[in-house]
Amino acid sequence: MPATDYQGSSVPFASLGRSLLSIRRDQVHSMESNHDPTSQELELEAFQKQVSDRFGDLASASSDDLLSLSWIRRLLDAFLCCQEEFRVILFNNRNLVSRSPLDRLITDFFERSVKALDVCNAIRDGIEQVRQWQKHMEIVLCALDSRQRTLGEGQFRRAKKALTDLAIAMLDEKDSGSVLAQRNRSFGRNNTSKDSRSVGHFRSLSWSVSRSWSAAKQLQAIGNNLAAPRGNEVVATGGLAVPVFTMGSILLFVMWALVAAIPCQDRGLQTHFSISRHFTWAAPVLSLHERIMDEAKKRDRRNSNGLLKEINQMEKCARHMAELADAVHLPLTEEREAEVRLGVSELAQICETMKDGLDPLERQVREVFHRIVRSRTEGLDCLGRPNNPE
Amino acid sequence: MADNSEEKLLAVARHIAKTLGRTETMTDDILQIFSTFDNHRFSREKLSEKMDGDDDPRGYAALEHSLKSLDRRISRYVAADQAIWADSADSAEFIDAIDELLSTVRDWNHMAAEKPVAACLDRADDLLQQAMFRLEDEFRLLIERSAESFNLQNRFSGDGLEGSGAGNGNFSSDEDEDEDENGDRIPVAHPVTDFDIVIDALPLGTINDLHEIAKRMVAAGFGKECSHVYSSCRRDFLEESISRLGLQKLSIEEVHKMPWSELEDEIERWTKAVNVALRILFPSEQRLCDRVFFGLSAASDLSFMEVCRGTAIQLLNFADAVAIGSRAPERLFKILDVFETLRDLMPEFEEVFSDHYCAFLRTEAVTIWKRLGEAIRGIFMELENLIRRDPAKAAVPGGGLHPITRYVMNYLRAACGARQTLEQVFEDNIPSVGDYRTSDPNDRASSSSPLAVQMAWIMELLESNLEGKSRVYRDSALSAIFLMNNTRYIVQKVKDSELGSLLGEDWIRKHSAKVRQYHVNYQRNSWGKVIAVLKLDNSSLAPSAASKLLKEKLKSFNMQFEEMCKTQSTWVVVDEQLRTEMRLSATGNVLSAYRNFLGRLHNVPEVERHTEKHIRHSVEDIEARINELFQGGIGFTGSRK
Repeated sequence: MPATDYQGSSVPFASLGRSLLSIRRDQVHSMESNHDPTSQELELEAFQKQVSDRFGDLASASSDDLLSLSWIRRLLDAFLCCQEEFRVILFNNRNLVSRSPLDRLITDFFERSVKALDVCNAIRDGIEQVRQWQKHMEIVLCALDSRQRTLGEGQFRRAKKALTDLAIAMLDEKDSGSVLAQRNRSFGRNNTSKDSRSVGHFRSLSWSVSRSWSAAKQLQAIGNNLAAPRGNEVVATGGLAVPVFTMGSILLFVMWALVAAIPCQDRGLQTHFSISRHFTWAAPVLSLHERIMDEAKKRDRRNSNGLLKEINQMEKCARHMAELADAVHLPLTEEREAEVRLGVSELAQICETMKDGLDPLERQVREVFHRIVRSRTEGLDCLGRPNNPE
Repeated sequence: MADNSEEKLLAVARHIAKTLGRTETMTDDILQIFSTFDNHRFSREKLSEKMDGDDDPRGYAALEHSLKSLDRRISRYVAADQAIWADSADSAEFIDAIDELLSTVRDWNHMAAEKPVAACLDRADDLLQQAMFRLEDEFRLLIERSAESFNLQNRFSGDGLEGSGAGNGNFSSDEDEDEDENGDRIPVAHPVTDFDIVIDALPLGTINDLHEIAKRMVAAGFGKECSHVYSSCRRDFLEESISRLGLQKLSIEEVHKMPWSELEDEIERWTKAVNVALRILFPSEQRLCDRVFFGLSAASDLSFMEVCRGTAIQLLNFADAVAIGSRAPERLFKILDVFETLRDLMPEFEEVFSDHYCAFLRTEAVTIWKRLGEAIRGIFMELENLIRRDPAKAAVPGGGLHPITRYVMNYLRAACGARQTLEQVFEDNIPSVGDYRTSDPNDRASSSSPLAVQMAWIMELLESNLEGKSRVYRDSALSAIFLMNNTRYIVQKVKDSELGSLLGEDWIRKHSAKVRQYHVNYQRNSWGKVIAVLKLDNSSLAPSAASKLLKEKLKSFNMQFEEMCKTQSTWVVVDEQLRTEMRLSATGNVLSAYRNFLGRLHNVPEVERHTEKHIRHSVEDIEARINELFQGGIGFTGSRK
């Protein structure tokens, strides 16, 4: 369970900026013999390269790896690193930050990033959602446990019920809102129609935002007016318009990928990415976008709650188990039993991966949230301060 | 006697069943007929128990037999249309049967290797599963039914607070008769003065029933199902309670887009809701959970977390959204409320979320509380920026009080109403590089609190902004008046408030001295010039030359004095005491010089003859004219000669 002990990195912004800066300065000094590029130019270049490298690495994932829990976690890692580098750049150039037109660009960026906070919260809810599904699967495992003496009628009935609950819970998510409002508390007819029992009882975990909240709209808002800086803007900002645009694009892409992978309200993936190819990181990001879109278009995933590999596996496995359970004739033939046992062990494995992966993922999403807030707070402080005492 | 005949009757019934029933099913049917004929007298268990006893329980036969009987007893309930727990006798019997089934399975489990036993155990498992499904339904029904009746009761009495009418009456109704400060259209909880109440969210009887069911479900390996049903039902209940306290589910963006006045109302509702949640609802849920899952601690802790998680996150998210929101200075006071509310609830967070499943909620609460502190510091930074950027465009007419002085001073005074909280907020602040605090070694050297340093800094910003504004006046005397007025106001506002003790005696002394210095500057740049005209050097001149000089001086004095009175007639000195002081010192200076001059004038014989012609102002005139000043033009047209 989530023991989110994350406290945020306790290193204050300033000292962190300092230490990184001095390291950087040392590097710069050693290279400065032919003093061509300024340290600032080097810094900005290094940032572009760092973003390209990280997303290049993510883009090199095999199709099995793409959108898996571990890949999502690497994606968030990449985001956190870029964000940190970006923060250092802002810190090092804090005297430029409050000057026009950079101040406007940065204010825009912070507005984008605040919008991402709601996505983070929605994703946290989504992770909790997946945990609830996991609970149903654990009941299936419990029912068809290999330590059970035999697999009898009772066990299958129990597993079937859990699978039905799971199916309803996942369905529930798809047409969230419609079925949920009704709550059937009537009793008595239960025995005749066990499976059509009031959906309200299986009501999945509610979201922490209102029903009208939409991930798709939120993504749209994050991407609103996100455009590559024009030449004169780049010059006027001392080149800083480029990292601001880069970070804005990375933010949008990462949030989009999270929404693609994890269940949340009104997942729409129609976000448009227009990134000029001359940014070195454009190729890997666009290729990832394309691959994820392809994944979303696949027939078996079109109605999916989330493209997360493990969700897909769970869905498939649950469907397979449900089919098996429906087709079962007792006593089991050896062949059938082996089939069931195999399905169970597969399910157990998925459960295990989820159990190990969801908590750290949730912590990481939370960390992304905190970092965005902190970076924004510092940025606002910078923007507010007109003349720098240093 | 009665018992005896009852026994006999049962014995006869059993005999009939046995002799007539050639097969088991027939016996069974006959027993069924008996029990339907008179269920009280010929209940199945009474009849069958004895029959089991009659037989020799050997081998599977006995197992077979008891299973059969259990099947009958359990199936009857599994198929029942009515809620089993509607009747305590039924529920007791159902629970007994399940217990027997569980112990039968346990007793025979070691012989599962033997085929016939295994077959029996399969049937037992099947039966157990059916019983568990039914238990699950009953469990859910019990929770929902009682929670429902509960809400209904409250709704009926118009009492917004969940559970205040709880069956046990833990909650005296007088408490709710406090004044109803909210005539809102949104249902709001009545003000609760004493939060130290834990309510029984469900009637005690129901809690016991739930516990009995939970025990069996956990024993049968259905703990997950039980805990799942429990938490989803209670979660719904909690969410409903919170929404009935008027709290909406808002995204961060929605909070940020909300007009401030609406957000203020929402914060007020939140404050009530979070108090009710942390002090009443969560502890009550915890107690309920502990009771229902008494002795089943693993299920208990996890279930409790699942119940509270969503609501706790909703409450914390709102505070977080407020903390991340606008830093407009006028928001300070409400954000202070949110900060204080969370701070005061920290012990509750610690206590109610003490187990490791809930640890993340504790951490979240602390993080968000700290972030509110950050927001408050951010607001002060914003205030600094506002002061710094306030343009020095239009001068206040007459050198009076500038609105920014009023605004900042009243703001700071009001802020100091929450001095202790602010001390705490600024104490936590780690000064960062580039912060102003590091730039002024004098400030750092002082032993004053971070809040005092903060306040002193804002005062400094205000002063330097006012100095900039004073330069807008072309007349340096008016600049001095402006600075004097504003500094005087600042000192007064500091003196009689918490700000005084924050900034210290030294500060007040220094600034009172500043006011005096401005006063001196004013005198020098205004009356000083007039007086200078009257100055005479002691070198003796020829009488005729002296007479001419004196006449000229008098003329120029008259002119300058008129001029001065005219210019200054629209000037303002806001503070009455200061006004008196200024008039006194002005009249004092001018009059003594004037008298002096007049004396000299009278000593020149030639002049004396035409004195009346040249002396346009009597000493009294001068005094009166000066005493008309500094009213901001009120006296201009009125009492002029």
